[in-house]
Amino acid sequence: MSGEKMLRTIIKKEILNNIFSFRFLVAFLLLMIIVTITVVILTDDYLRRIDEYSLRQGEIENYMRNYAHFNRINPILTPSQPPLPFYSLIRKISPDDYITENVFQEFNSDPLPIMFPLIDFVFIVTILLSLIALLFSYDSICGEKEDGTLRLMLSNKLSKAKIILGKIIGGTLTLFLPFLFSLLIGLLIIHLNPRVSWKGANWGAFGLILLGSILYFSFFYCLGIFISSRHRSSSSSIMTSLFVWVILILLIPNLSPYLASFLSPTPSKIKVERDVERITMDERDELMRKMWREKQAELYKQYPILDENKNLTQAEQARKAVEDPAYKKAYQILSDQFKIIVAEANRIQGEKVRGMRTELDRKEESQMLLSLGISMISPLADFTYLATDLSSTGLRNMIHFQRIVGEWRQLFSDYSEKKRAAIEKENPAVDSWNVAVDMSDRPRFQYKEEALAGRFKWTLPFFAVLIIYNLIFFTAAFFSFIKYDVR
Amino acid sequence: MTWKVAKKEIVSNLLSYKFFIVILLTAILIFTSFFIMHRDYKSRLADYQLIKPKPTEPIAVIPPNPLSIFSKGLEEFMTRSFEISVVQIAARSGMKSGNLLFSYFPVPDFLYIVRVVLSLVALLFGFDQVSREKERGTLKLMLSNSLSRAKTLIGKWIGNFLCLSIPFLLITLLGVVFLNLDPDTRFSSGHIVRLAIIVILSLIYIAFFLSLGILISTLTRRAAASIVILLFIWAILVFIIPNLGTLLARQMVDVPSVKALSEKRQQTWTREVLLGEEDRRKGESSWEAHYKAIYSDMDKKEENYRNKFNSLVRLSKNINRISPVASFVYAVTEIAGTGVGEESRLKSAVVNYKNSIFSQIISTRMGKAGKEYPTFAYRYRALSQIFSEGALFDMVWLIFFNILFFALSYFAFVKYDVR
Repeated sequence: MSGEKMLRTIIKKEILNNIFSFRFLVAFLLLMIIVTITVVILTDDYLRRIDEYSLRQGEIENYMRNYAHFNRINPILTPSQPPLPFYSLIRKISPDDYITENVFQEFNSDPLPIMFPLIDFVFIVTILLSLIALLFSYDSICGEKEDGTLRLMLSNKLSKAKIILGKIIGGTLTLFLPFLFSLLIGLLIIHLNPRVSWKGANWGAFGLILLGSILYFSFFYCLGIFISSRHRSSSSSIMTSLFVWVILILLIPNLSPYLASFLSPTPSKIKVERDVERITMDERDELMRKMWREKQAELYKQYPILDENKNLTQAEQARKAVEDPAYKKAYQILSDQFKIIVAEANRIQGEKVRGMRTELDRKEESQMLLSLGISMISPLADFTYLATDLSSTGLRNMIHFQRIVGEWRQLFSDYSEKKRAAIEKENPAVDSWNVAVDMSDRPRFQYKEEALAGRFKWTLPFFAVLIIYNLIFFTAAFFSFIKYDVR
Repeated sequence: MTWKVAKKEIVSNLLSYKFFIVILLTAILIFTSFFIMHRDYKSRLADYQLIKPKPTEPIAVIPPNPLSIFSKGLEEFMTRSFEISVVQIAARSGMKSGNLLFSYFPVPDFLYIVRVVLSLVALLFGFDQVSREKERGTLKLMLSNSLSRAKTLIGKWIGNFLCLSIPFLLITLLGVVFLNLDPDTRFSSGHIVRLAIIVILSLIYIAFFLSLGILISTLTRRAAASIVILLFIWAILVFIIPNLGTLLARQMVDVPSVKALSEKRQQTWTREVLLGEEDRRKGESSWEAHYKAIYSDMDKKEENYRNKFNSLVRLSKNINRISPVASFVYAVTEIAGTGVGEESRLKSAVVNYKNSIFSQIISTRMGKAGKEYPTFAYRYRALSQIFSEGALFDMVWLIFFNILFFALSYFAFVKYDVR
């Protein structure tokens, strides 16, 4: 037999061996049931979220028709993440839970996801698929040794390299089948739902995630074969496999943010927020009063007419300004100066706050990057980042969301300035902040997913780590099998 | 005779590679977890010293709970700073919006390690108890003596349980002793009692998985098949049922999202402020009335949300209890004082606090009263109350699962074909 044909025979044997095994059946059933249930429940939940989202948007529109005014408009128009079609497969973090523009953080919270985090496609791949990969590979070398079939195989004119290649290719191919099949059922459920529509980019992202899951799966398969070829008996091989699995899957990712928080600590967020509030409220008012007193004294000296009338109430002063032209000029200067001082006090305090906030953000970001780096040791974390970022349910989307919110905020503040100027021009006496305004022509926040290319570029390092792991463990499995004592 | 079987099990375990791996794993995990969670607790303690309210601040904050080292649960939610303002309670959260990766993976506390890893370990001790001895033929030999099947099974169970629990207890004890050396975390006797109950619950939990392992081992002919089935059952019990149950309950009880609630509150508050401004321009001073309007509206929304949320919690708890893992998690978190029940009770206490000082806040805002507020104090529920409010049920439920699975494995073993 030629070499190539031999390889094909071994792959075929491996495939048949797997397909007719008991564990294949169990894995197949399990995946099918879990994927189906998960997709059905998540799709249902996604539709409910869409309904709630449009209801909320309607309420905001309704409010804006009746009570729109520029003071405190920002918290009303807080941008919110619309539900994405991918939510029927993958959920991780949503900007709605983290970016809040509200004056008040919410007292009510939803602690249930903390107790039991959600199950989604990422969970199925990271936990179940890796477990399946190890369960099929832990005895593929030492099991055959124990049965004695390995010796028989090698007594033919068959090289060890071909056997191991055949095992890895055949194993990965067959074991990926039940996963693909159950996924197909899931996609069918999603596709048949008339209210869920996936676009081209969604399919593209899905294809990349699938590629990631193949890499993830084959890594664990190679790892299993490597461990198997380091052991003489399959009962100790499974112990080592599960040991490594627990460390990689259940320990490293969970420890990484904690480890990073010790290595690169951040200041207390509560403290910073409280300080910010103090600086922008009480302290600012204090500063403003002080500056205003000084300015007033200076102006009173300059314009005695102001000094004479300083005991009048605000309304009386305004009336006098209309009647008395001499007073009007001085009064104009006085009120202009007041505006300048308010702006100046806001600027000084704003500067301080910005400094504190930038410092906090910088520290938080460096801590986050550190935990990202540490957790990338674990293939689970790599796959999780890759899948959530490609599906816009992860960190990348958070950054993207913040960016488009920033753009929209700029647009809105330009709009707001223009609109207020127009109101003041029409009637200078009116307080343009605290008056109902027709804002139906305002720029509206529109969420747009980041282009697939950008998301893909961001996930390249995660792909790279998975590929490197694959290469390392493939080589390791290959060489330790070459050296394996088949007796 | 039973004891002899148990002793044989212990000796054969002690020398095995499996035992070595398991001890290594348990030790690594528990020590790392204690170390990490302890440092996390200390940093939260330091933060608490910074944010402790002064008498002039109407703020409710509780100090971090030392038992959160073992079961963090909802601790992050509970130690938020609840700041009472003229219209509502603002909850500043500590870690939540900082490093986002905290929310990617579950917290590696003691509860997590027992729940996920030790259950797996217990299965590893049980999975080949019967099928392996059959494969080797030693089962036949054993039963050819005057040894009853019941005694064999009980002996096996006891031997393996001791091999599992004694190292686990020793490692945990050692860890706790180390933690106790730190003056900041010196546990009170009340904490020690709670901790002891948590450890007992963990043992019951582990025992359940051991029985499950033995049961599947007697139902299958080969150890390799047994481990495959067990790992899948494990994944279903530990991850899938409790997590899907919560989502399923959400489909049945319609609870608005926190975001929706927050938007509605914002609308009420800005609307009333606008109306107040308009009144002011007309020369009427009606702020107090507007504040009251905001206040009553917020209270109504708040109550409505909490009622719905509580029924969601009840339903999802009951669905999740299909899996003993959920019962275990509920019981441990409640006993540690970081569970859903304790959190909701703390919130009620904060609401009561707000109601008690609310009129004073309005008067202060209007410049009519002084600025000193009573301090907020919170007492965790007593153990007896925790038990009567569900923990006892969860504990009994766990024990019931234990007895059930042991009985099932007994019947399966009696009928087992040893050839």
